[in-house]
Amino acid sequence: MKNGQTIRGYRIISEPTNSGGGRCIWAFAEKRGDGYFVKKFLDPKWPTEMSMGGPASKQRRREECLEFERRHREVNSRINPRALGGGNLVTAIDFFRDGTTYYKVTDRIEAEKATDLRDYSIRQAAVILRTLCHSIKLLHRAGIVHGDLKPDNVLLQKSGTGDLYTAKVIDFDDAYPSGDPPPPDQVVGDQRYGAPEWLRYVKGDPAVAPDQLTTAADVFTLGLIFHVYLTGELPGYDQSRFGAAAEAVWSAQPLGLSPALDPRAAALLRRMLSPTITDRPDLGELLHQLADERILIPSDRPDGRAPAGRPVPDGGRPAPSPPGPRRASRLRVNLARPAPAAGTPAPGPRPGPPAEPEKSRIRKNIGP
Amino acid sequence: MPENTTSLKYAVDIVFCIDVTGSMAPVIDTVKDGALSFHNRLEKTMAAKGKEISQLRIRVVAFRDFSDSPTNALQESAFWTMPEQASEFESFVRGLRAAGGGDVPESGLEALAVAIDSDWERGLDRRRHIIAVFTDASAHPLGKGADASTYPAAAPGSIDDLFEMWGYGSSQTAVMENAAKRLLLFAPDTTPWNVIAADWTNTLYFPSQAGDGLEEYDLNEILEIIANSV
Repeated sequence: MKNGQTIRGYRIISEPTNSGGGRCIWAFAEKRGDGYFVKKFLDPKWPTEMSMGGPASKQRRREECLEFERRHREVNSRINPRALGGGNLVTAIDFFRDGTTYYKVTDRIEAEKATDLRDYSIRQAAVILRTLCHSIKLLHRAGIVHGDLKPDNVLLQKSGTGDLYTAKVIDFDDAYPSGDPPPPDQVVGDQRYGAPEWLRYVKGDPAVAPDQLTTAADVFTLGLIFHVYLTGELPGYDQSRFGAAAEAVWSAQPLGLSPALDPRAAALLRRMLSPTITDRPDLGELLHQLADERILIPSDRPDGRAPAGRPVPDGGRPAPSPPGPRRASRLRVNLARPAPAAGTPAPGPRPGPPAEPEKSRIRKNIGP
Repeated sequence: MPENTTSLKYAVDIVFCIDVTGSMAPVIDTVKDGALSFHNRLEKTMAAKGKEISQLRIRVVAFRDFSDSPTNALQESAFWTMPEQASEFESFVRGLRAAGGGDVPESGLEALAVAIDSDWERGLDRRRHIIAVFTDASAHPLGKGADASTYPAAAPGSIDDLFEMWGYGSSQTAVMENAAKRLLLFAPDTTPWNVIAADWTNTLYFPSQAGDGLEEYDLNEILEIIANSV
């Protein structure tokens, strides 16, 4: 894949990069005036007649490729928005092989990445959280674990002419059926946002069987993402003892939630971040709780302009800040209008001026 | 490396496979200039991406041409653990001289075989095994100059056999772990590199201008590509 090359009608218009890691390189593309995001897979490779290796080797590689195609099509059909009945999942619109190499194409999303929603109004934050939960609910209903949720994989797209944002969920290449993850050395995830059972599975803990990696792992991850969104920080834990939130929870050390969180939000996050998988709420309950936007108002300043305290556990240090620009402004209270339904950002005028994020980068698209 | 700064322990092994024939002076100078600071720069690049390496080891395989001058056609080091052995890494690369090689092609495939046959880390929670090939020339077929006493035992008889050494997901003959390995090819758009790029899994190809010593790549770009591969 080269800048300027045309692959199956998609003209590559940016320098391909492996930014974002994973077994792929990606670039932006254009086709008939529309923008696309093209991902080239590094593994597997289809053996052609001219390829290296003997007949037996080529046969095994073809079988690998056919299994790769089957798995891709199965997951993609299960998370297809038409099959799910909606949602804001940025799914593949094209998947093909060109020569030895597989490619996947999605729409190019004009969106922002955020690691801190305190620049946004309460209404904006609520819609973002609800649309995020709505999409994940549809994914979970289809029996699929995203497996790599993190702020990088949630794009905020401004809705039409309004000032609300919809959360678009990307990167399903490492999604897996609930309870049926890839082997420990292949399952993907970001340890900053991973669930305790995921971490134990990756580390080869024999007490954690594959069937314990379920949709509840995504709920734990969402708990960490929500905390980052609402306070700008991961929950606190003793960094002299633990390298990630999951490790602290695994060791029965409760995470330090920000005192600025509304008590109801804190209680919800505590359940999402429970070490016990069955104690975590499902997405339906999360959406129910988030219907009341008041739980997003910082508790120490009802006017919504309070600096959220950095979470510190007893005897510990604050958790490291997630990457991304720090912002000075805070969640602004704006409850003048009724909440829109999940997944359907409310259009129309609003009482206050639009809350544009001050330092957020416009992401023309996000890497894999 | 600090303790308890990460839950998952990542082991990263990098083998630099460097063409040290005459035309490669620019990239060799780049490697020399960056050798001592490589660990810190990679660590900073990784930190900016929210990643952390628990154990980093580096090895160098420098190559020229067995059919031209077998006595100095291959120079290889053991793995150095960084940053503890950074000065040894620097000392080795300072000793590399861009010279010889005669006409293209060079013995790049033999060097790649030696790199694949490295003593890769098998422990820790997660591993990344990276081979970064830097050359501005095509490569001889395997076996050219094989009668030299310095010819590497790790080199197979054909590129098909070399392919099987690299392997694929269900391969029974692969020397390296499929999930861990990455091949970064900074090489011209010529055989065998463009064929390898098409056929081999987990391979990233950065085509360069033949004979220009990879002048189009600076150390920051190379570091970024390596960091993205970890």
